[in-house]
Amino acid sequence: MAQAQNSKLLNGERISLAILLLCATLLCGLPLLLVFKIGLTQDGALALTPLAEAISSRSVQRALWHSMESSLLSALAATVLGTVLALVVGLTDVRAKGLLVFLILLPMMIPPHVTAIAWIQALGPASPVLRWIGLAPEIGSTHPLYSREGLVLLLTLQHSPLVFLLVRAALRSFPRELSDAARVSGAGAFRLLTRVTLPLLAPALLAGFALAFIAALGNFGINALIGIPARYTTLPVLIWRRLASFGPDVLPNVAVISVILAMVALAALLIQGFLQRRMRASLIGLPQDPLAISLGSKRIWVEVGLWSFVGLVLLLPAASLLATSLVKTYGLPLSSSTLNLDNFAEVLWRQSVTLRAFANSTLIAAIAAGVIAVISIFLGYFVSHRYKAYRRTGTATAAQAEIAFAVPGLVMSIAFILAFIHPLPFLNISLYNTLWIILIAYISAFLAVGLKPVAAAFVQMDRSLEDAARVSGAGFFRRIRRVFAPLVAPSAASGAILVFLTAYNEVTVSALLWSTGNETIGTTIFNYEDGGYTTLAAAMSVVVVLATILVMLGMNGLAKRVPSGTIPWKD
Amino acid sequence: MKKFLMAAGILAGATASAFAGDVSGKLVLYTSQPNQDAQATVDAFTAKHPGVEIEWVRDGTTKMMAKLRTEIEAGAPKPDVLLIADMVTMEGLKQEGRLMAHEGADVSAYDPALMDDDKTYFSTKLITSGIVYNTNAPMKPSSYKDLLKPEAKDKLAMPSPLTSGAATIHMAALTSNPDLGWAYYEGLADQGANPKGGNGGTYKAIAGGEKLYGFVVDFLPIREKLKGAPVEFVFPEEGVSAVTEPVAILSTAQNPDAAKAFVDFLLSEEGQKLASSQGYLPAHPAVAAPEGFPARDQIKLMDFDPAKALEQDQANKIKFTEIFGG
Repeated sequence: MAQAQNSKLLNGERISLAILLLCATLLCGLPLLLVFKIGLTQDGALALTPLAEAISSRSVQRALWHSMESSLLSALAATVLGTVLALVVGLTDVRAKGLLVFLILLPMMIPPHVTAIAWIQALGPASPVLRWIGLAPEIGSTHPLYSREGLVLLLTLQHSPLVFLLVRAALRSFPRELSDAARVSGAGAFRLLTRVTLPLLAPALLAGFALAFIAALGNFGINALIGIPARYTTLPVLIWRRLASFGPDVLPNVAVISVILAMVALAALLIQGFLQRRMRASLIGLPQDPLAISLGSKRIWVEVGLWSFVGLVLLLPAASLLATSLVKTYGLPLSSSTLNLDNFAEVLWRQSVTLRAFANSTLIAAIAAGVIAVISIFLGYFVSHRYKAYRRTGTATAAQAEIAFAVPGLVMSIAFILAFIHPLPFLNISLYNTLWIILIAYISAFLAVGLKPVAAAFVQMDRSLEDAARVSGAGFFRRIRRVFAPLVAPSAASGAILVFLTAYNEVTVSALLWSTGNETIGTTIFNYEDGGYTTLAAAMSVVVVLATILVMLGMNGLAKRVPSGTIPWKD
Repeated sequence: MKKFLMAAGILAGATASAFAGDVSGKLVLYTSQPNQDAQATVDAFTAKHPGVEIEWVRDGTTKMMAKLRTEIEAGAPKPDVLLIADMVTMEGLKQEGRLMAHEGADVSAYDPALMDDDKTYFSTKLITSGIVYNTNAPMKPSSYKDLLKPEAKDKLAMPSPLTSGAATIHMAALTSNPDLGWAYYEGLADQGANPKGGNGGTYKAIAGGEKLYGFVVDFLPIREKLKGAPVEFVFPEEGVSAVTEPVAILSTAQNPDAAKAFVDFLLSEEGQKLASSQGYLPAHPAVAAPEGFPARDQIKLMDFDPAKALEQDQANKIKFTEIFGG
């Protein structure tokens, strides 16, 4: 009897694992394989001809070069900026650290297309803020952001928080003894930095650089809104443009370009992994109180510098965005006579498309977050399973999710078009041009985001809990439901909130998957801006930014109940 | 709201005139009209002909055509009626024998240049392309040639024919004008013009003062100027080009009677008033234009031959790419 029950238990576990593996393969692995299959075969046989043809085209070459160049430059700049900020906040005694961290990380949570729109409005001749202080560029002059440098600048600002986050986490797990030893031996702050701190930070710097590079490579909002007027076309924009102007006919051609983009991203990941292994194992100490080197009389100046930077990066674009959303029509200065709430009434009230977009995005972001939370609880259990075979299968499943997240969103959406443009076998339902294709793409692309905190919570868990439950005769599902789920619930919830925010704000995945009636917030804002309705795009952006900040503040309530590092802006 | 009330008024009038012995059955419409406009058009028609049930699909002209081409290749084109952006696309379908003539259509009131001589497609409104300028700019252009003056150097914005159908037709009209021709476009390139994206981007650049002069479709600046935007739309002395949102019946239509009734409705004064209430210039000369537009007889259209434009379409785009580098 006990024997029979035992094998059944294992079965429940095995079946769950098999289902997880199947789902991840169907959702993450297979669509990507399809892209590669179409990109790398001709008449059913492996061939490099389509790829070679694509690479030999001038426009693809130029876009590839632009993508590499802008991603490399912005990743370098983001690494420097993020590291400097992390060192100052992490190692000195500046005040109000909690608020600073929140504000430094905010740009990461704001969608890139909104960042682009806000900066375009902030620095152009029509800039409401610069007009007030009389610094606006002369009318008729070319916009300073419409250039390679402008594109790199915005990508840098968007991605430096990623580096900041990683470097700060590394600093906190730093063995304090080393820095103490160096200082006792009489090393000054500068020497400590160059001889001890930075060399030890190398793996974190490299990881941050790679992350910023891949994020810039796949970025669509900034690449399109700044790159198109600057005539600086990158690969994601090239893909989007071709598909938008020629429809599904050009899918094979676009699939080849997607393969190139995916290869660059995956190559970056591989190189990073290789270098990471070559480096000396990083020293990990216990997380401890942040170091606080006393800056003495210099502190006030460092603080002035920090706050000016944060103010410039946040306030200038935010004020411009708000001002633009409040004027009757774009191009008017904001004054008591031009101020009205018409644009907000328009997007929150009158336009059916914006209301539908808010409803669609909220709905599918919420469903995706919920589904990912459930998958993560099961998958997180297997990833840190006591038996090797289970652990390996779990890791293989999670790895597919990681790859789907690392590959640029546009490549994922091409993958989903290829997978779902024909009706599903057996069911004869076509998901193409429905909201559900976007939902599935979200689950696939953002599973890694929700899984991370849950996996971290499982690693920290004491396994004797499971033994106790087993001995008391609890089956697999019961153990998950009664023991693990309650314990990892806070982590799963904060993972789900991060997924919700990511999906709610994204434009990259849905840029190609949306259709009439199935618009997302991101595509609607983008199309308004692209169609010349800047004031409506600004009003919608303001709503989205406020919603994002509210959700972020709401997340703080979970801070005490999750492993540290789960909520990016909390310790 | 105002539009809605006007549309509602038209509806009320329309319902009163519905009569028995009317067309009926299912009518499939493929359109590139914006959603709200398409819905209003369909509602107004079904109020008049309650027996007809319209199934409509909406997408951009390019995508709509891609969809139709796929269906034609599969041997099962679904729509009875097409209502899309421009005459050149219609001309292409006509030459392939895909359109059905509607001999009974009453086009007596209209400018013959807007209608196909063989009565296969009919323009329903005018979305003209002319010059827009920022009112803070030093010059007030009145002719296309003004944009070649030194004041406009590096201050020009224009939509790309590779993106915008209206810009394609504008280019075809300007370059076939013997006074302007391709030399004019080369002049624009020397002026540092950088055609990119659609009309929206062009309008934005000029309203925001990033550029000062440019080509754009009429309704954006005319609509926004009423709200106080620092822009002015000019109908240049040489004339404007127009995309005319033509309607046509497919030769494979399942329900030709209802399709003809739909065409007749769009061409009737009632249908034209509906277009005007949606903020577009009606093609019918006797129907009042929306606020901010000049009267229909004040607007000069440049000569335009859809068949010739279709024939030269590829060559034009290649020339354009050579001049502006894509």
